[in-house]
Amino acid sequence: MSQSSLISLIFKTIAQYLNKETQMPPEKPQTDQKKPPGIFSLLKPYGGLVALLLLFALLSNSINLLLPKIISKGIDAYTHHAFDIRHIVMEFSGAIVLIFIFAYLQSIIQTYASERVARDLRTRLSDKISRQSHAFIEQANSSKLLTNLTADTDSIKMFVSQAIVSIASSAFIIIGASILLLSINWKLALTVIAIIPIIGGTFFYVLKKVRALFIESRQVIDWLNKIINESILGAALIRVINSQQLETTKFLEANTRARDFGLSILKLFSGLIPIITFTANLSVLCILTLGGHYVINGSMSLGDFAAFNSYLSMLIFPILIIGFMSNIIAQATASYTRISMILNAPDMKDDGTITSSIKGDIEVKDITIKYGQKPVLKEVSLSIKAGTKIAIIGPTAAGKTQLLYLLTGLINADSGSVEFDGKTIGSYNSEAFHSQVGFVFQDSIIFNMSIRENIAFSDTVTNESLEKAIETAELKDFIGSLPDGLSTIVSERGSSLSGGQKQRIMLARALAVNPKVLLLDDFTARVDANTEKKILANVQLNYPDLTLLSVTQKIAAIEHYDQVVLLMQGEIIAHGSHQHLMETSPEYVQIFNSQQSTSNYEL
Amino acid sequence: MNYNLNKLTGQAEKSSNLSALKKLLQLISHERPTLMLATVIILINSTLNLLGPLIIGRTIDHYVMPKHYQGVIYWASVLLCMYLVALLTSYLQTKMMGGVGQRMLFTLRNAIFNKLQLLPVDFFNQNKAGDLISRVNNDTDKLNQFFSQSLVQFIGSIATMTGAGVFLLLIHIQLGLAAIAPMGLILIFTMLVSPWVKRTNAKSLKSVGGMSAEIQESLNNFKVIIAFNRRDYFRQRFDTANQDNYKTAISAGLANNIFMPVYSLGASMAQLIVLVYGVYLIGNDFSVGLLIAYLSYVTLFYNPLRQLAALWANFQTAMAAWDRISQILGLDSNLVNIEDNHAGDAETLLEFKNVHFGYADDNEILHNVSFKMERGKTYALVGPTGGGKTTTASLIARLYDPNRGEVLLNGKDIRSYDAMERSKKIGFILQEPFLFTGTVRENILYGNEAYKEYTNEQMKQVIHDANLGTLLAIFENGLDTPVTSGGDSISLGQKQLIAFMRAVLRNPELLILDEATANIDTITEKLLGDILNKLPETTTRVIIAHRLNTIENADEIYFVNSGEVSRAGSLNDAMDMLLKGKRVS
Repeated sequence: MSQSSLISLIFKTIAQYLNKETQMPPEKPQTDQKKPPGIFSLLKPYGGLVALLLLFALLSNSINLLLPKIISKGIDAYTHHAFDIRHIVMEFSGAIVLIFIFAYLQSIIQTYASERVARDLRTRLSDKISRQSHAFIEQANSSKLLTNLTADTDSIKMFVSQAIVSIASSAFIIIGASILLLSINWKLALTVIAIIPIIGGTFFYVLKKVRALFIESRQVIDWLNKIINESILGAALIRVINSQQLETTKFLEANTRARDFGLSILKLFSGLIPIITFTANLSVLCILTLGGHYVINGSMSLGDFAAFNSYLSMLIFPILIIGFMSNIIAQATASYTRISMILNAPDMKDDGTITSSIKGDIEVKDITIKYGQKPVLKEVSLSIKAGTKIAIIGPTAAGKTQLLYLLTGLINADSGSVEFDGKTIGSYNSEAFHSQVGFVFQDSIIFNMSIRENIAFSDTVTNESLEKAIETAELKDFIGSLPDGLSTIVSERGSSLSGGQKQRIMLARALAVNPKVLLLDDFTARVDANTEKKILANVQLNYPDLTLLSVTQKIAAIEHYDQVVLLMQGEIIAHGSHQHLMETSPEYVQIFNSQQSTSNYEL
Repeated sequence: MNYNLNKLTGQAEKSSNLSALKKLLQLISHERPTLMLATVIILINSTLNLLGPLIIGRTIDHYVMPKHYQGVIYWASVLLCMYLVALLTSYLQTKMMGGVGQRMLFTLRNAIFNKLQLLPVDFFNQNKAGDLISRVNNDTDKLNQFFSQSLVQFIGSIATMTGAGVFLLLIHIQLGLAAIAPMGLILIFTMLVSPWVKRTNAKSLKSVGGMSAEIQESLNNFKVIIAFNRRDYFRQRFDTANQDNYKTAISAGLANNIFMPVYSLGASMAQLIVLVYGVYLIGNDFSVGLLIAYLSYVTLFYNPLRQLAALWANFQTAMAAWDRISQILGLDSNLVNIEDNHAGDAETLLEFKNVHFGYADDNEILHNVSFKMERGKTYALVGPTGGGKTTTASLIARLYDPNRGEVLLNGKDIRSYDAMERSKKIGFILQEPFLFTGTVRENILYGNEAYKEYTNEQMKQVIHDANLGTLLAIFENGLDTPVTSGGDSISLGQKQLIAFMRAVLRNPELLILDEATANIDTITEKLLGDILNKLPETTTRVIIAHRLNTIENADEIYFVNSGEVSRAGSLNDAMDMLLKGKRVS
């Protein structure tokens, strides 16, 4: 019995746990969830590959089982002075060449099968995710989805590449070797086979004890990763505050706990290995004493005695492999359950059929939205005529952004309805709807691709509409100043662009679809007053029929708007023209006054 | 300086396994005593395990064949004693070597994290967050696999193999050499394919990093994807990354799987050689018992080799991961501290002297900028977008160093201050507020030692005294309101409020607000203005804003445009410049 192979296997088990399971955030048991299809059902489309895989594995293993037999026959032939060298060499060489061929074919198919399953699963997942709603993504949490697409898929890949073959081969070897042993000498065989339950039992017992530790250590690793992630995402802040030391201390604490867990797990396994080796060694002793006895009294040949030793070393490994693989299967099943939850999530109901163009009349009726217990919008009603301009003003956390999200269908209301041209937002075909409603988000979202692709993000954008959008957003000079012009690649978080440039690119992105309705979320916050004025004039000129809904902080810019809505803590406090509000709403006047001193500079 | 890890060229790329390993081992030089003791134990353990087959072989020859059962029992008892000792040594072996592995991983993780903390903002801007996170998490996990399983195995396998080899040669030198011969073939084969295996694994890791980055970017920006009806965008980008990952993973898998069949073939060949050659030798100086022992030694010699094959692939992956990590470890901060013994200047808090700066070498953003800022005054930086305002602010906070010229703080080069002193003096509210997952309290006290031990009640008093009470009231559960780092759980305006409170409570000498109130309503913003006015008289404020009412109280207005900073006399002048001034953007 090779001890190193034993250690290898056991440490694989550790690594298996630490590397796969630890990456999963702790999951609450999904009791109400209907049982997902078993992981084996995943293999159905790959039946041919899997069958081929099993075939080659069984072929190479069955020949492997014969090797000790050939050697034993050789030894016996020698003791009976009937050693036929050519025959033995032929038989043995034939066997090992076949094993080599089958094992190699098996490894190739294994790689293809597992990678293909992983790739297809990722494609299915991404396809499903891409068809989900904003709320779904927010709730599912993007880092969890990332885990689904990477770590979870990897553990299923592991299942395909290792578990299937290993379990089939191991079961085959255990049964095959046992039968061969029994056929040689059943009494000796029984004492040898007795170690199977002992080793298996010990292994499972320790694994079970270790499982609790793993679950705890998983949380520590999550914690560790969170610290790393935040230290990367918040790098600028950390440097401004010079809190590197603080971060390091946090990390050291988490890292120390991770190490301590690693050490306690190790302690359990360091006990397991000697016990298994010792049990196996006891069996070697049995073969020596009992087998020696049989050889001495002539009831067993020396070759068979040697074969017993060989089969013993073949036996122990598969027992452990089955234990090891049962973990892989358990993990893969857990991963597949998580993945199935995504795959089986109800499709976003997109039964909207209306594709006709929108005029721009918007009717918001009694909308209430709650986040948990806390209402974000309370019975908000609003009526907007096509082609008019409306501003939404209000303090921080008034629900302005949520109102805009509602109007683009990013979120749904808990009660009430939103109608465009008298038809509910849900009755529109989403493709047709989004190509007519442009949205400029508050936070800068720039994709890591060329400026052209960032602006012409929707695929309905034509060259003319792209040009018009760039001109309107006052980006022409800026783009002209870049050596690569529109083809300049901008980076992920848009670090190479200024805040205002990012926001203007986002405006151009929204305008490029030639929208009927344009929703601006605090768009001008990072654009200087002069540029802002020009841009708004451009919009007026180039998109005259646009229905404009603008969330803003600045009253000066919207005094001439058709309607101003004052939103506070999710409720509409007042609405009407600027003049009307100045006369009737003390809150509005207060805001106005807070800006009054300089409003004449804002023009 | 080039910090883009995917465009780095140089030593890391070419480093051999050996030098990479050496660098790794340097990390655990303090473990030497443990390693020595463990080595002794491993030697004892291996010897005990290896003596088994020899004793059995001898027993067969001397007692089974001549039918002396007493001797069989005697040697069986000897074996039993040996196995009992091995029970202990085997336990110690795993525990000690495993311990070294765990501690090594611990040291390594610390080294990476410390390095990340040392690197400047530039590094984080030049690399995708997703790619960095993948490097730090996934690649350390690959190393983790190596440390937690391979290290123990590696040593154990090598000990068993060497021992078995020694026994093979000692028992019968010619037969031993013949039995070891296939090993030579295996070695040559391994050396030939290793570079290829390492290469494919490195490629595969790279494409995994790329895929994670792709997923992260798309998922985090999903609302844009929905609002612009580009769900296919996510699919397409992902499909490309997925397909790329598939291809590289297949090559890596094929490369990694090639060892096992070859190694098994070698082992079987050795068995055949022993059987044929051994049988031929029996009678001269060889016996049946020895042949059986010999067959066991061949297994003991080649079995670890098979493990080493699996290990080798593992080792290659780990080294590829280590290469990617040591790329980070090999970087140094380009912000170097210098000596400056100038006497301080009491009046001028901050001065730019002929500063030139660009993020990339060939694209200068600030051209020959000079200005002064006095203690206790309020300065406004105005100008069109893209003019260089944020860049100027970043240089004040020393997120970057100028390419030419110098930034003086209290008359001394800003590079001569240690980071702690500098960050105490300079507060900077960034354009994009960042929060740590936790509570409002944790975030506003982040990195602030002064109030660490304060109870919530005491904290409320401090906040009240700093005139921040009204701001805190906006948060539903006050100091205990939970916030998360990502996501839309609180609004951008609220994040800015937290960042504002955080900076004010640190009580800096110079406070920079980079459009720090852009998404806050005007009434609250006026409140913030009042709070700023009530800061101690000596506090210098630098305000970057587009809303002119936020800068109306500035003592001095600088107009920043086309990478030049000039003085605007009054707010009206600034307005004129904004309206008439040439625009670059």
